Amino acid sequence: MDVEIWKSQLRKGAAELAILALLDAGARSGIGLLDALSDRPAIGLSDGSIYPLLNRLEREGRIAGRWETPHGGGRGQKIYSLTADGASALRSMRGAWIGFRNELTAIVGERR
Amino acid sequence: MSDATRIEDYLRALARALRSLPERDRDDIVAEIRAHLEHRAGEGRLDAAIKSLGGPDNCARTFIEEIKIQTAFADGGPAKTFGALLALASRRVTAAAGLFVSLVFFLLAAGFAFTALAEIVTPDLAGFWVGPETGSIMIGTIEPPSVPPAPGEPPAPREIMGRWLILFAAGMAVLFFVIGQWLSRFFIRLMMRRKSPSAI
Repeated sequence: MDVEIWKSQLRKGAAELAILALLDAGARSGIGLLDALSDRPAIGLSDGSIYPLLNRLEREGRIAGRWETPHGGGRGQKIYSLTADGASALRSMRGAWIGFRNELTAIVGERR
Repeated sequence: MSDATRIEDYLRALARALRSLPERDRDDIVAEIRAHLEHRAGEGRLDAAIKSLGGPDNCARTFIEEIKIQTAFADGGPAKTFGALLALASRRVTAAAGLFVSLVFFLLAAGFAFTALAEIVTPDLAGFWVGPETGSIMIGTIEPPSVPPAPGEPPAPREIMGRWLILFAAGMAVLFFVIGQWLSRFFIRLMMRRKSPSAI
């Protein structure tokens, strides 16, 4: 069995939840999100996949982006924050995720 | 080649590959990828960043697919929905199937709309025709025979609906159009449900 295909299916939707949850803790840029996820490769978000996802979440109104230039000049960055819609989506998704995780863990167990 | 030149080359190719998007969307994406690449170049990680983004065409395609599906879903208009299916048909089986099925219904709608129009313009030719012996029916325009059929030949088909055909054909045109539109949206929704978060 090709476990990679199965893993990519497992990640569907998970990346969106991870981004909303990270932005719930505070506004961040795309780079900031990638850095926060850099030691969590299992989530599967890369430079190539995060920007189209942020673009979609912004269009759907779940996150809002604004361009900011650091004090004292330097490179501008697009900073994303959670909208009210995004916060409410996150609440529902978090509840669904916890229920799903608990039931699956009860079936599969936690041994590696 | 310097980092700055490589970034400019990449962004120029990206902007070209994104030309099907409205200018504002394109500029926003290019600006964000520019900020990303410049930041990574500052960390001395430009090579890894470009490798991770993939080629400019690949990178652009991921954005375009996300946007086309999403705008079709939010807009809901038949032209945009059908356009999204058309754009994605060569890459996704679901889109190709949706395109075919909704095209059949849109063509049926167009056929009935034409019949309604024909009944207004040339009422003698358009009709709901019934073959008196065979019982076969045909809706649309026919050229009635100029001479009565000779004995032994099947009698000419009869028109049974008269001016009501305008209402009937227009109603069917609207019905098939609505079904076609609903089906194209259904396929878009199906693709959204299956969609993985971008190229994972």
